[in-house]
Amino acid sequence: MTALLNRRSPAGDAEKIGGRSTRRGIGGGTAGGWKQITVNQAFLLPAIVVFVFLFVIPLGQTFYWSLTDFTGYSPETNFIGLHNYKVILTDPSMLAGLSFTLLFGVGTTIIITALAIPLAVQLNKAFFGRNFVRSLWFFPAIPSMAILGLVWRYILSPLESGVLNSVLKTVFGIGPIGWLSVDNLAKLSVIVVGVWGAVGWHAVLYTAYLQSIPDDYYEVAKIDGASPRQQFFAITLPLLTPAMVISTFLLMTGGLKVFDLPYTLTNGGPGFSTYTITQSIVVSGVGQGRYGLASALAVLFTLAVGLLAFGQLRLTKTIERRFT
Amino acid sequence: MKAPMWRRALLSVVMITMACFVAIPLYYIVINTFKTQADMVASPLSPPTEWFFGNFKEVFSDPRIFRSFANTLYVTALSVILQLVVGAMAAYAMVMRTSKLNAFLGGVLLLGFIVPGQSTLIPLYRTLVGFKLVDSLNGLVVMYMGGAIFCYFLIQGYIRTLPFEIIEAARLDGAGAFQIFWRIVLPLIKPILFTVGVFQTMWVWNDFLLPTVFISSPGKRTIVLQVYNAVSEFTTDWPMFMTVSVVALIPMVIFFVFTQKHIVNGLLAGGVKG
Amino acid sequence: MKRRPLIIATAMAAAMALTLSACGSGDGDDSGKTTITFLSWTGEAQMTPVLDAFATAHPEIKVETSYSPPVAEYIQALQTRVLSGTAPDVFLIAAENKTNLIDGGHVVDLAGEPFLDNVAEFNQETYGRDGAVYGLSVSSWAAGYAYNKDLLAEVGYDAIPETWDEFLEMCTKLKDAGITPFLESVDQMPTTISSWVGAQGASMSPTLDDQIFSGASTFEEQWTPALTEYNRVFTEGIMSKDVVGLDGDMVRDEFANGRVAIINAGPWIIAPVREAAPDLNFAYSAIPGIDGNAPFLAGAASPGYAINSKSSEAKQAAAKTFLTFLSSPEGVKVYQAQTNDVTVTSDFDPPVDEAFAPLAGAIRAGDLYLPMISWQRSEDILNVEAVAQIQRMIQGQITPAEVAKAMDSKLAAS
Repeated sequence: MTALLNRRSPAGDAEKIGGRSTRRGIGGGTAGGWKQITVNQAFLLPAIVVFVFLFVIPLGQTFYWSLTDFTGYSPETNFIGLHNYKVILTDPSMLAGLSFTLLFGVGTTIIITALAIPLAVQLNKAFFGRNFVRSLWFFPAIPSMAILGLVWRYILSPLESGVLNSVLKTVFGIGPIGWLSVDNLAKLSVIVVGVWGAVGWHAVLYTAYLQSIPDDYYEVAKIDGASPRQQFFAITLPLLTPAMVISTFLLMTGGLKVFDLPYTLTNGGPGFSTYTITQSIVVSGVGQGRYGLASALAVLFTLAVGLLAFGQLRLTKTIERRFT
Repeated sequence: MKAPMWRRALLSVVMITMACFVAIPLYYIVINTFKTQADMVASPLSPPTEWFFGNFKEVFSDPRIFRSFANTLYVTALSVILQLVVGAMAAYAMVMRTSKLNAFLGGVLLLGFIVPGQSTLIPLYRTLVGFKLVDSLNGLVVMYMGGAIFCYFLIQGYIRTLPFEIIEAARLDGAGAFQIFWRIVLPLIKPILFTVGVFQTMWVWNDFLLPTVFISSPGKRTIVLQVYNAVSEFTTDWPMFMTVSVVALIPMVIFFVFTQKHIVNGLLAGGVKG
Repeated sequence: MKRRPLIIATAMAAAMALTLSACGSGDGDDSGKTTITFLSWTGEAQMTPVLDAFATAHPEIKVETSYSPPVAEYIQALQTRVLSGTAPDVFLIAAENKTNLIDGGHVVDLAGEPFLDNVAEFNQETYGRDGAVYGLSVSSWAAGYAYNKDLLAEVGYDAIPETWDEFLEMCTKLKDAGITPFLESVDQMPTTISSWVGAQGASMSPTLDDQIFSGASTFEEQWTPALTEYNRVFTEGIMSKDVVGLDGDMVRDEFANGRVAIINAGPWIIAPVREAAPDLNFAYSAIPGIDGNAPFLAGAASPGYAINSKSSEAKQAAAKTFLTFLSSPEGVKVYQAQTNDVTVTSDFDPPVDEAFAPLAGAIRAGDLYLPMISWQRSEDILNVEAVAQIQRMIQGQITPAEVAKAMDSKLAAS
């Protein structure tokens, strides 16, 4: 158990991914020599191969197409330079999905994080029916969004016969509410369903990290007379920051790329109120034969998500460093 | 550690109530598989007026459903295991040796999260045509290897929280990198392997986008494609759609119920043994 | 240490699945047969009897069929395969992909083929251009209004009136009687608007869309009257603005439950409604006209079977045999029995549900209009824009003229 008490991470604090440290880890050249370095780097090889094959090459192809008038049907294309980029940056409707995409990405990240951590703490306690409860929370991650979108569409139906509306009517006597048919409510509905779909899984992720916090910490804290609230803020939360770095990064990148959920729940409507950039990419590329344009949008979008996500990663890392 | 009995009971009540609310859509899906279309239209949320098993009978009367199960099982098992191995190896290497190069590579790999999948579908398809991996289950496995980057990211975060002294001690005992990885690191990261593995299993098992584009032979269909048999141009047979979905999901539910213990109980046990 | 058995178990399961999938792939007795590949738009349950009938009639040809659900998934799957040179020999040409397929030279011109002789002119023109025909479309669909006869009778009507003003008057009466008069799903181009534009264009020469797309006229000029009339159902409080959150299946369920008197609907709701509410007394009607135009329908020729121009000659010949069967009375009969489509081949008279009978004549005659398929370029761009802007109009955010103007600027930009 003594080993567990020393929670220094192998690489020290400064060299987290994306960090710019020059310090070497213990497995570095100083300790093992070239042979060990080679063996070590060989472990990276499969991931690099996967990455190049499945991400770099297709992205390169997408970038090339973004400079052409590619229709998505015939491989013969004409090089048209930056024309597609010009179209996107000058035609405001190409960016119709921008505001909701940002709202969804940032909104779900914040809400899910704020809910998943307390939930994880509760799910980590012993109580009757814990496994059952955990399974139910995790359930939304299981079925595909297509079927969940349908179910929620019925629940949130703006008709008087909609599930939620009929409950509201019988219990509170309130008239039908246009959950999916009023701009702001539709935005809210999509975000709520998005939170519902992911909060359980992220709570499970946090639970896994909670397991790595040794009980001794809490026992020491208790002897010192710390209240549960103090324990949460002094021990649990700081020690969960590595998990938060990961969870928020996943939420942000996933949220900005969201497609299935608004597509099945509102199809971007009413009007363009829940339209997303990804939907714009898919619609232009597949339905409209403007693959070059869609590619340009994808390239710009990739850059933007990259900037946002890495900015956020830096931020959470800074917070993490302060706490650990 | 032990909370008083009444507090645990209270927590149970609160948590179970909340979870039941969260699970209302689950109820909605399951209950409607036991209804005729007529019954579902009349009152989607109430219990069936008469329990109807025709949907299930119809699903299982088609022998190809079993074939689809086998295909899905093959693709899911193989690709998730490979994803975990590749991801864990990369995470291990990255944490064990933090050079400038690795820090850079670590950052670059994250691009895998940022590229919108839909935009790389056509380039990938064209590449796979060249390798004769289109309309092939192994081709699907190759495509799902992209998930290894996800695994890498989660696992590396977790490895960093491990007690490093154990690894150091093993190294001093003369263990090689591979031995350390297999004997020490893998058992220690069991919780995250299960968490990520469960999540990736759900994704691969349920994925519709890749099979619909990459698979054309009926004999190679995955189970999710069977779900979409209920979809036609203007309308969808929702009871059928939900029934096939439920049938497709049963293995996932069982899988989760059995694996979630490992997510939770893995680390401490592993740490003590290591 | 519980991990190992799990890994072994999954690995074994994987190995088993591999053997299973390995042994099913090669069928032995295909020597001497021509094999063609086919990507079906129609679902497997409905298409299988058709393919079985073909296999019996033509044992020398083997059709390897795959399925992709319409619409978006089908278009995506086909697009990917066309681009990569792995397209099937026979596939469907639809509103969403016809321009790209024809422009790219991916489909064979079928004009003059004997199997088109019995196919309605309207269906040939839909998937043709400049005299060439690229798809064999054997059926059409139309949407009009489905109405609940009993609810209409409560306010003294036995049918849908022929003009929009009278229709609104009736809706007001229904509303006053405490009945929800009318629901139309607007997740797509509203059926009502399509029919009006169609009715207006029916007598125009050059056609309405020729005028718009040649620049002689604009959407603003041609569409604003229809949009303005349509907006009245909202400004006059007949239909709730909440319809922007509804899809066709939800509207159908309200209708089946007798909670609404009139909905927009095509033939695809008949079977589910009859199953859900066997006693519901309903019928179809064309959509009441505006500006003195006769009632009209929204609708289009169903996607057409097309032959891949990159396929070998032998396969193209076999594909033509397949298409010949599909347009023959025997082929159409099997197909019709499965899909209940209104088929348009002259030598087969499709049985039509009595409720739908009022619309069948117009369908067979091709008196139908669907903007998206009649537009001459940028179809999907315009459609996405129009639907979104109409939803905004319904919510009261913009005027009908602004909807049409937005469509004009989309067309100008593309």
